[in-house]
Amino acid sequence: MIPRLHFLGAMVAAFCVSGSVAAAEPAVIEGRVTLPAGREAPVLNQRYEIVSKGGVVAPNPPVAVVFLAGDFPAAEAQPVARMLQKDLAFEPRILPVRVGTKVEFPNLDPTYHNVFSYSKPKRFDLGRYRADEEPVPYQIFDTPGLVTLRCDIHEHMRAVILVLETPHFVVTDTDGRFQLTGIAPGAYTLKAWISSASTLERAVELADGARLEVNLE
Amino acid sequence: MKTGRTQAPPQAARFRRRLLAATMLLLCALTAAAFLVVRRGIARGEAQALEREFAAVLDRLQAVRQMRRAALVERARALAGKARIHAAIEDGALDLLYPSALDELRDAVAPPRIADPAAAAGALRARFYRFLDRDGSVIPPPGGEAAAGALPPELEARLALPGVSQHVQTGYIAGARSGAGVSEVFATPILSTETGEPIAALVLGFEPPRLVSERSGLVAGIRVGDTLVIPGLDPAATAQLLALLPDDDARSGGAAAGARRFETGLDGASWLVFTQPLNPGSLYPPAHEVCLFPLAAMQARQRRAGLQIVGAGAGLLALGFLGSHRLAARFSRPVATLELESHEQRVQRRRAEAELEATSAELERAARFSADASHQLKTPVTVLRAGLEEILARGAVPTHEAEEIAALIHQTYRLSSVIEDLLLLSRVDAGHLRVAADEVDLALLIASSLDDLDASPDELGLEVTADVPPALRISGERRYVALILQNLLENARKYNLPGGRIRIAASEAAGRVHLTVGNTALRPIPPESQPHIFERFHRAAMGENIPGYGIGLNLARELARLHGGDLRLLRSDADWTEFEVSFRSYPATRPHP
Repeated sequence: MIPRLHFLGAMVAAFCVSGSVAAAEPAVIEGRVTLPAGREAPVLNQRYEIVSKGGVVAPNPPVAVVFLAGDFPAAEAQPVARMLQKDLAFEPRILPVRVGTKVEFPNLDPTYHNVFSYSKPKRFDLGRYRADEEPVPYQIFDTPGLVTLRCDIHEHMRAVILVLETPHFVVTDTDGRFQLTGIAPGAYTLKAWISSASTLERAVELADGARLEVNLE
Repeated sequence: MKTGRTQAPPQAARFRRRLLAATMLLLCALTAAAFLVVRRGIARGEAQALEREFAAVLDRLQAVRQMRRAALVERARALAGKARIHAAIEDGALDLLYPSALDELRDAVAPPRIADPAAAAGALRARFYRFLDRDGSVIPPPGGEAAAGALPPELEARLALPGVSQHVQTGYIAGARSGAGVSEVFATPILSTETGEPIAALVLGFEPPRLVSERSGLVAGIRVGDTLVIPGLDPAATAQLLALLPDDDARSGGAAAGARRFETGLDGASWLVFTQPLNPGSLYPPAHEVCLFPLAAMQARQRRAGLQIVGAGAGLLALGFLGSHRLAARFSRPVATLELESHEQRVQRRRAEAELEATSAELERAARFSADASHQLKTPVTVLRAGLEEILARGAVPTHEAEEIAALIHQTYRLSSVIEDLLLLSRVDAGHLRVAADEVDLALLIASSLDDLDASPDELGLEVTADVPPALRISGERRYVALILQNLLENARKYNLPGGRIRIAASEAAGRVHLTVGNTALRPIPPESQPHIFERFHRAAMGENIPGYGIGLNLARELARLHGGDLRLLRSDADWTEFEVSFRSYPATRPHP
């Protein structure tokens, strides 16, 4: 229960930060991303996994990260996010963050974990640590791009952090539905990251207080 | 006998030589057959023992190889699953691949500072390692070659595969330079954690195991392409052996040949060479294990066994020779004796034949003389009697003279009777007398003989009794049977007491008729004379006043025997003398009447 609350808390905090940037009446974009068919392999739990196939990293069952590209003012405060290690898995499997976000990696398992990444945007190695590690190991992600997280001890653990240059992003549900709120009016490009090899996009024009229905396919 | 043995008769000597030769021949054949059988048996036994030993050693080596391979592959698999290696490959960080592997493989790879490869070979430590990318090409280590194990570029190039496979590929790579050695490499696929697909491969290169069986002397080496490495075999012999091996690489397609074995001479010794594919089905070029199994020990054993058999065979032959010599001597001795005896016997027989011939001629002559004499005598006696009877018939002689003449006439009758008997005897002796086998009524004959006896001038007053069953028939000729009977009765009368008895009895039993003639005797026949009474002209110590010439009993016996019967003396004691004559019954002796 507690990790989930943490996670929700983090999300809410992120949204609050982004929402507070807008001066005018914020607009809303909602819609549906057409997702690729999932792999045939039965998924025992309903949580998705990060799958790297043929050098392409994608979540399975497929979800997308929908974000809005454009010019945004710099963040007032450093955003903070959390990537948990729980039940020998990363939670969430996919974490979009804005550039400059400090991501904490608390270990909630009664065993050691060793989070590291060889990804170009952010190479780091937190070393082995347990749940009682203080302070909670963290990394600041200041280069946009895809960062694959792994655990040195548990080879199957995999997660991605998508470092984005936007405060507006959301992870769709497995049906591809999303909603972005609190957007200042203006011209943007709406993008949906489906995998490391596939990103959908569409230009959008948002009026004051508009409520836009956009489907990406 | 001594002299007979020292110079054995020629036939016996020949027999002995032949027997010896035959025995020796048989012995030689038997020994040769036994030799062949035993040698074949030993050779087969040796071959089987060798086969077993070879198979056992090979199995052990195979087991070592398998276990080693399993251990190495398992280790490589564990390495290939490491998260950092996956991260380096999957997350586009090839620059971090070898450094990451260095950490992970630290204990799997021989430290470069240990220069002596033999020391590293004991441990399951790799000589080098390289990664292959998804396409099977070698990912070169970035500068820090020492960490990944030094490898000449041309060998590094040989690690490449046409593509990474799901399965571990075993390969053997050899340097172009001969004597560079062979490395055993395992290309272990690095599989995607999520999809299970091979995304790269980790190639670990090891020094091949040094498989040598100290006890049996088996050494195992590796042949790949034109490189053959066999521990302990000098280069010249290695090159020689390589030339003998089937050229598998010449065949395009690289279908690895199956196991092969052959015997060959190398380095002045015989070896059993066994070769089998080491990495069938591998994407790497085919390599073969080449095992050398020394046959020297087995050949020495076989030679020793062969010598033993030959020795035993020679001993056997010598013994056999001695034995057959003895045997020939033993068997030829009776032959020599036989030959000698037969020689003596021949001589004796010839002499006996000659004597027999002489005797027979003499006998013939005597019989003829006897017959001639009898004939010659009969005529004058008859003439004499006729003359005497004529004188008597004229009546011109006085009475007392007439009585004398009558007595003389009586003597002429006796003389003729004796002559008759002699004539008959001479015919019997000459074998000219043939007796008919007619039916003779013995009872009738006895009755008429008794009549004659009664009629004879007799002052003794004898009492004659006859106990003869009627119709007693015998087989014979009437006149001779009558002669026998007459002789016996005559004797019984002549040698009787005054007022004595004569008893005649006859009976028939089992096809024979027995007739006894008994009488009281003046004097018994003395026991010492009894065996001789049937001899011719024997008259015992009887009273000289009793007339006779000692022919009667002899003639009677000869005639009885001619009739298939016999005449013998039953008893002769103080008061009774009894003869028995036997005949054949008439019906029993005539199968066809």
